[in-house]
Amino acid sequence: MTDRTSVDLLQGTLATLILKSLSWGPLHGYGIARWIEQVTEDELLVEEGSLYPALHRLQARDLVTSQWTTSETNRRVRCYSLTEQGRQQLRAELSRWERFSVAVSRALQARKASKAV
Amino acid sequence: MTGRPERRIWRDTKNDADDEIAFHLEMRARDFQERGLATEQAREEARRRFGNIDTITTLVRRIDDESARQKRRTGMWTDFRQDITYAIRGLRRAPGFTAIAVLTLALGIGANAAIFSLINAVLIRPLPFSDPDRIVFLWNTRGGTSTPEPIGPGRMMDFRSQATSFSAFAAISHMSFTLSGHGDPEQIPGSSVSSPFFDVLGVHPLLGDTFHDGHADPNAVVLSHRLWMRLFGGDPTVVGRSVTLNQRARTIVAVMPREFVWPSITARPSPADTGPELWIPGGLGDIPRPATDEDADVRAYRNAGYLRTVARLKPGVTVSQANAEVAAIATRLSRTYAEDDGRGATLVGIREQFAGSVRRPLLILAGAVGFVLAIACANIASLLLGRAADRRREIAVRRALGAGTGRIVRQLLTEAVVLSAAGAVAGLALAWWLSSSLITVAPADMAGMVTLLDPRVLGFTLVVACAVGLAFGAAPALEVSRGALAPVLTDGGTRTSGSRGTTRLRDVLVTIEIAVALVLLSGSALLVRSFVRLTRVDTGMATHNLLTFDVSLTGDRGAYQEKQVAFYAALLERLRAVPGVSAAGAAVTLPIGGDDFGTQYRVEGKPVPPAGRTPQAGYQIVMPGYFAAMGIPLRAGRDFRMADDRRAPPVALVNESFAHREWPGADAVGRRVRFDDSAEWMTVVGVVGDIRHLGPSVPPRAELYQSVTQRSFPFIAVVVRTQADPYAVMPSIRRAIGELDPQIPLAHAKTMDEHLAHALSRPKFLSTLVTGFGAVAVTLAVIGIYGMMAWSVAQRRKEIAVRVALGAKNREVLGLVLRKALLLTTIGVVAGLAAARAASGVLNGLLFGVEATDAIAFGVTTAIIALVALAASYWPARQALRVNPVTLLR
Repeated sequence: MTDRTSVDLLQGTLATLILKSLSWGPLHGYGIARWIEQVTEDELLVEEGSLYPALHRLQARDLVTSQWTTSETNRRVRCYSLTEQGRQQLRAELSRWERFSVAVSRALQARKASKAV
Repeated sequence: MTGRPERRIWRDTKNDADDEIAFHLEMRARDFQERGLATEQAREEARRRFGNIDTITTLVRRIDDESARQKRRTGMWTDFRQDITYAIRGLRRAPGFTAIAVLTLALGIGANAAIFSLINAVLIRPLPFSDPDRIVFLWNTRGGTSTPEPIGPGRMMDFRSQATSFSAFAAISHMSFTLSGHGDPEQIPGSSVSSPFFDVLGVHPLLGDTFHDGHADPNAVVLSHRLWMRLFGGDPTVVGRSVTLNQRARTIVAVMPREFVWPSITARPSPADTGPELWIPGGLGDIPRPATDEDADVRAYRNAGYLRTVARLKPGVTVSQANAEVAAIATRLSRTYAEDDGRGATLVGIREQFAGSVRRPLLILAGAVGFVLAIACANIASLLLGRAADRRREIAVRRALGAGTGRIVRQLLTEAVVLSAAGAVAGLALAWWLSSSLITVAPADMAGMVTLLDPRVLGFTLVVACAVGLAFGAAPALEVSRGALAPVLTDGGTRTSGSRGTTRLRDVLVTIEIAVALVLLSGSALLVRSFVRLTRVDTGMATHNLLTFDVSLTGDRGAYQEKQVAFYAALLERLRAVPGVSAAGAAVTLPIGGDDFGTQYRVEGKPVPPAGRTPQAGYQIVMPGYFAAMGIPLRAGRDFRMADDRRAPPVALVNESFAHREWPGADAVGRRVRFDDSAEWMTVVGVVGDIRHLGPSVPPRAELYQSVTQRSFPFIAVVVRTQADPYAVMPSIRRAIGELDPQIPLAHAKTMDEHLAHALSRPKFLSTLVTGFGAVAVTLAVIGIYGMMAWSVAQRRKEIAVRVALGAKNREVLGLVLRKALLLTTIGVVAGLAAARAASGVLNGLLFGVEATDAIAFGVTTAIIALVALAASYWPARQALRVNPVTLLR
């Protein structure tokens, strides 16, 4: 049960993280994985593979788009970038996350104020 | 945002997903290597970190495929809507082109819908009987000819008892009933039918119950829906009530539903009169009653051919099996009964029986309108080709901006289909108008069957419109897909010469148009010539100012021959005394549109003919004075006299054909003939001129005349020759008859000219329509030629300008342009003549006095087409001369 919740949570968060990673410009899948790895210090992405279904789902929802390019080693590389829709989605997610985290941290840092009543 | 590049990627999601993941693993492994791991270890570690590669690859693919499907669906719909909007916008920008195209299509599609509505009504729509394909009519045949003939009572009973192919079998006779006690006495056509009649057809009454096999009250009567409405205003309590028919009280047992419309059944399809309005059961032996005497016992009359028979095939029995069985029975009967010798039997399906005679004319009309539509298509294809060529720049630009060939082809096809949809709507409106005027020229028995608002007709129109749109849209689309229009951007946009492919295609289309128009026009020329011949044919009598009507006798007066003759004589006496009447006569059956009797006969002094070869002749029974009233000349001897009564020696008259056949070069008067089944010799007392008894298109045959004074029936047809318009004398004639007996109804009053017109109505209908369609075809072809020439001149302006600048004379320029028109016309005419020749067999049997290869018809047609084609190209050619070299060459 707890597993399931954490996976759901992870998926939603993962999608937002991917959008965030693309907000500075196009990246390929591995680039996104590296970015997440660095910013979360390897805390979040237990299985790197789970990144790809999430990416493709975002593409199916037209939040990201992809293009094949050629790498410096002359290999076909798929690069993802944000669509206008994706940018809006990211903005919405960020403000929601902000409100959520403010609320949660306020709750968690609260003292026993209710006694005052 | 659904850019094109992605679409290409979706096509091979399989490799894409593999490549993407492989790249990831490789990069990760390199990272590990840089941190000091060995190659193998680094790879192993990368895979472990990634998770289950197969599961993830499959999942990614599934997501991509699903999303691709989704996008394709919405993409197609968006493209389609875009195409339509674009097509409509484009068409609105070219109102002239659109108007011509829609009008042309409306003509083509409308004519097709109208004719199809006729075909649907007559040949396709299911008949209102249960399982109509199992219903057949049984007819006698005689000699080698397969012309069906009615059957006599004795023979009918043999077929009824011996045939095992039928689950139900009924005979029908046609009668005429005098209805009295219901306002003015009137005559109503009706039928006497054997009891299983309604079960053979599988029809159920609206009210009450009909007769069934072996169960029929001899005094019962079943009414048609129309008669019920007319006499009783649709009163639902009518069952059980009594009506007086031919002075006998009959009980109404049933009323048939509205859709049960049953025609007169005739062996020889002829312009049908109105069908029976009521049905009574048969008499003794369940044999339909003869019109001459309701109560006669006809069982002994083996071959008095007045019966029509209709039967239902047993389940599992095919028409050919049943046909074989009745043929076998006929052979057996011929061996048993000497008088049946030479008679065969044949079955005719109900659809064929009802519509056999109109089938071919209708199919010919369908072919004609099909041709018109084909020309319309060729025209529009040609116009669209020209339009596509003019739009080369636009198409090239769209292409350069990334539109694929498929997309542009689809765009062009959409434009075509939008056009033809507009054409179909306009066409249906036209068809509506057309079919209402079709009814006015249609033969009476075809009118009233036409309904446009039938799902089949609408469906047909829809299919035709789509097919047509794709057909003429295909030409320009093909051009585009071949890339013929592509390299335009480079040539600076000035039109030089048209694409060679486009020009050639348009040339071919114009040639086909000319050929098809010629085929159609030559067909109409043949039909018109044939119709004109028919109207001019000498029927052997003077048909103008001749009024005809029927009289039936009932009761005592009808029962005895002496009383019948006396009444007829008195009637004619009175009629001759009416002012404005110059002559009056009467006959049992009138020529043209009347019934027809035939007889087998023997000539005195000639050897007995071999079995089955007994000579036949038409058989007419007439009152003295008939020939004078009809304007039939007496060639030799004398007319019948009142004195030639039943006590006097039997006499006969023959026509010239008869006299010539039996006594060529010798005098016929004084010879003796007798009916095959009678021992009494009749002396020929006179010879009269030939007439075309069966209508203008059927040549005269041998006729044998007997006098009513020696053989009469309780009904007769009267002819009155008037000095002026027959209908002006009608009131006086009615009064004269009323003075004689107010109870005598005067039925079917019509002039002989009207009978004649009726007999000609079908050829008239056919020739009128085919000529109309021929005219439309020629008009469309002219538009096509004009369009093609105008375009071709426009394309060659530069070339012409160069020539003019180099000193070409007007005549040379004109010749240059016209030469092409001449060439195309010649090819078209030759091809058309060949096609018309090949198709001439279609009209066989529909032409009268004209060969299907008639030189005059073809000559005139060719001349018309050639002239019209050249005239259509002359105007554009003149335009070529107006080209100002300076403006073009600068």
